[in-house]
Amino acid sequence: MRQQKKINLTHLFGALFLLMVACKKEEYAIPEPKSELSNDVIKRTLGPNIVGLPIEFAYAMALPAAKGKLVSAQVEASIAGATGTFLEHNSYFTKSNGQDTGVVVGQPSVNDGARTRVTFTRDTMASTLRYSYVVPEEARGKTVSFTFSSTSSDGGNATFKMGPYTISNMDMVRNLAVNNTTANYISIADLAVYNAANAAVNAGKIDLIYLYRASPASFLHALVSPAADAQYRPGITLPAGVNRSTKVQKVFNLQDYNLARLQFGIFIDDLDFQQLNLADAPNYAISLRAEAGTWVETADGRYRAYIYLNSVNANGSAVISIKRYDMQRK
Amino acid sequence: MTNFVKTALVLLLFTAGFMACKKDAPVDEDGLLITTRRECFVSNFELLGTDFITVRSKLPVIDTTAQTIDVEVLFGTDLKNVYPQFSLATDCKLEPKITGKVDFSDLANPKTYTVISGNRQIRKPYKVIIKFQ
Repeated sequence: MRQQKKINLTHLFGALFLLMVACKKEEYAIPEPKSELSNDVIKRTLGPNIVGLPIEFAYAMALPAAKGKLVSAQVEASIAGATGTFLEHNSYFTKSNGQDTGVVVGQPSVNDGARTRVTFTRDTMASTLRYSYVVPEEARGKTVSFTFSSTSSDGGNATFKMGPYTISNMDMVRNLAVNNTTANYISIADLAVYNAANAAVNAGKIDLIYLYRASPASFLHALVSPAADAQYRPGITLPAGVNRSTKVQKVFNLQDYNLARLQFGIFIDDLDFQQLNLADAPNYAISLRAEAGTWVETADGRYRAYIYLNSVNANGSAVISIKRYDMQRK
Repeated sequence: MTNFVKTALVLLLFTAGFMACKKDAPVDEDGLLITTRRECFVSNFELLGTDFITVRSKLPVIDTTAQTIDVEVLFGTDLKNVYPQFSLATDCKLEPKITGKVDFSDLANPKTYTVISGNRQIRKPYKVIIKFQ
């Protein structure tokens, strides 16, 4: 009986102890700000990093007002950016209506090799500068890293590293106008559209023919390879030597963001092309519509591509955009 | 105390006995419930292209007596890469299973799919006959 009482008391004390620990309230404390120059970076662009397109960042830096002001900001890329690379000399804030508004805080940026630098002219202790790095051809298939740094009038400096980011092997061309008569021979190798005369000159590179036929109703806009059955290219007399058989597979609801520039957050990347299997695909695609696309593999297997139809017109024309992957480059 | 333990044990035994006697519902080799339903037919049929848009030019004709499905497809349809979709009577299943793209290009030898009733006793083979528009 005595032992049972002892056990009960132990349980009671244990429960009380747990209650005390559980009820301990932690007071919120306002975080202490750093009393020195500090910085932070976010990457603004999503999707694959493609040669010729920018990778954008926002670089924020600040120090306590009593400590001094910002003197300079700099970004150093591991591979120098192409023409068009710059660091904004405006600092942006967002208005209540959601509009980004820039305030000039320094001189326009100066590129020196892989470095891009802005010197502040305005007395400011906090700023967010945007950095736009245009991917150069020499970065293709490699990785690029960035070192953001800033200096302040009290002698302080801060750095922030971003990356490495892999640069895609893809090529891209946008807004190629095709039509039924004068621009209907598509070359994936050249990422270009030719008329019949130029197609004859580049016969070995012609992979597809764009054509529009109002009848039958299921034909309309089509991408047909030169070697396709004649019933899929009615009224077409092929220029001499144009005879490649390109594999084509229709796709819908694949509005790649880079090609379509619509609201859809879909990106076709190198991996999609590497894993693409068109072994049993036909060599024609008819009844295409706006915002549709086709996966393509050239006859020699060297190129795989995605052709997106930005718009189509019933007068027999369309606007296409192409992402292409060179299988020999991987 | 001893009485309490005894009562608890007896109750436990009763509960275990009840649970042990519960009969499991029968399932087939696919883990699907075998029911008492004898209905066995195809109620609808769809054929989608690689872009997941229908390639039919009109509604399919399903003959549940002759056990055939007649489908007319659009001009230029790539029948090597299409996705068939069957709607079946309640609790039925299909054999062979459709797991991805199917090659329907051999028009001379139509493919046959067998519908199996909910009680798994009745099997009806349906022939899918395709022709171009």
